[in-house]
Amino acid sequence: MRIEVNGAGHNVTSPPLASLLTVLREEMDVTSVKAGCESGGCGACTVLIDGQPRRSCLTPVVTAVGSEVTTVEGLGTPDSPSAIQQSFIHHYAMQCGFCTPGLVVAATAYVNGGGSDDLDSVAEAISGHVCRCTGYNKILEAVAAAVKSSEFDLSSTAVDKNTVVIKTGGAV
Amino acid sequence: MAVHRGRGIAAIEYPTGMNQNGDPSQAWIKVKPDGRIDVFSGTADIGNGAKTIQSQIVADTIGVPYEWVTFDNSNTDSSPVCTGTFASRATFVAGKAVLKAAREVQRKLLDVAAQEMEISPEDLEIEDGRVSVKGLPDEGMDVGEVAGAAVYGHGILVTGTGAQLNPYAAFTDPGTGEVDSPPHAAISYAGCVAEVEVDDVTGEVRVTKLTQSYDVGRAINPSLVEGQIQGGAIMGLGLGVLETSYPYYPSVEHRGSGFGSYYAPSPLDMPDLETIIIENPSEDGPYGAKGIGEMANNSQPAAIATAVYDAIGVWITELPITPEAVLKALDKKAAGEDQPRRDGKMVIFDEDLSVNTVGAGLQWTA
Ligand code: FES
Ligand code: FES
Repeated sequence: MRIEVNGAGHNVTSPPLASLLTVLREEMDVTSVKAGCESGGCGACTVLIDGQPRRSCLTPVVTAVGSEVTTVEGLGTPDSPSAIQQSFIHHYAMQCGFCTPGLVVAATAYVNGGGSDDLDSVAEAISGHVCRCTGYNKILEAVAAAVKSSEFDLSSTAVDKNTVVIKTGGAV
Repeated sequence: MAVHRGRGIAAIEYPTGMNQNGDPSQAWIKVKPDGRIDVFSGTADIGNGAKTIQSQIVADTIGVPYEWVTFDNSNTDSSPVCTGTFASRATFVAGKAVLKAAREVQRKLLDVAAQEMEISPEDLEIEDGRVSVKGLPDEGMDVGEVAGAAVYGHGILVTGTGAQLNPYAAFTDPGTGEVDSPPHAAISYAGCVAEVEVDDVTGEVRVTKLTQSYDVGRAINPSLVEGQIQGGAIMGLGLGVLETSYPYYPSVEHRGSGFGSYYAPSPLDMPDLETIIIENPSEDGPYGAKGIGEMANNSQPAAIATAVYDAIGVWITELPITPEAVLKALDKKAAGEDQPRRDGKMVIFDEDLSVNTVGAGLQWTA
């Protein structure tokens, strides 16, 4: 049994009904895919299978044979992040980061599928994902901004966000 | 049979910079020959942005660009002691340690630059990676040149160390818990206004808006502060209306048996959020900062409870305010069973359940 992950083939040694999540993490060391609830409830394990977001914890690995599996590693690298990854950085849409890989792949499918920048429809699209840290607001903003990427100056982002000059001095 | 709207308010104060356990944070900094800065600190970044904020403090204190700073908290062998990221202390306490270390580095860089330029260090300043003569911005040299001169000319390693320790506050009276020094170094204040819609048929409470203001001392990184406040708001919303491990505590029956039976807020539970960041500097925190971690999810449940009272006229005195709790309270009201009263006053929080009553038999131990 052979699966394609981020453009590379892998010979699976686990049994066919092992979850795709286990194969990715334990066999292939693709640890961006997070084991949250392992019962379909949190979205942390989400990967793209032929471009569609799927919960890898509920996906028997055998069903992914013949399909293209994509994780965040397949979307961009630290030096060259995808537009959605940059938008997450720009909007500070992650804190601990546990939910982030699942949300980034889900957002990628949403944006590529022609999703709208309306915050309610973004919320609907990512409603199956739990984030304990951010309060979602910045995630919604990041996804909406990625939809509007033509108006979104990605080049000014990361530096802008991380470079804050502290104004010293007295009471404000 | 209708949806009722209500609005409620709650305010809190929160102590940061816990003194009672003698918890230290320490940092050391070295300067590379090109002027780039390595910071070693034991502070874990759990998503709160401790690395970013401490790097900002170092960069601004020394006077170099943020990008020059590498923050290494990768292991506890190479980094000095930091008690940890808890009690809203990462910026307030550990940030003070890196601030002190950065001041020492700046002083040493100015000493080297002063010798190179044959001028008194008091007449020099560092800004944006450049040492210059005060009042004569064109007279000077780059920090990289100064650092190179230190290594290859003067034969010295430019380092700085900093430690912050609020001393252990010993009990002077174990009976009352009185201690011999202030238990906390800074107090933050916050207020939250919750707006809700309560359905008197289903009992569902929907939080539609949270307007919150936080005194953070100084928002060293406003985006990160906002992230803490927004994240706390949704966690507070969860505590207010959704989340409980033991719905019938102290009975453990009906305890959640899996992820699906514990209701954390989802993106669809998001209310409108309005956030006001108030900068009311503290004396002790780095650049006047106070902690904004744990206080961020304290005021929402109480504000929601008062909003529910405003909407339907019943006090719910236990969290979370579930549909079941709302409907039971409405039934009681309809049956004329009033809310508990004592001495003619409404008792919102039953004394028998209060901390004072529960804790009456306990002795503080030193
Ligand atoms: S781990 Fe798959 S949905 Fe939670
Ligand atoms: S960033 Fe921590 S769970 Fe989403």
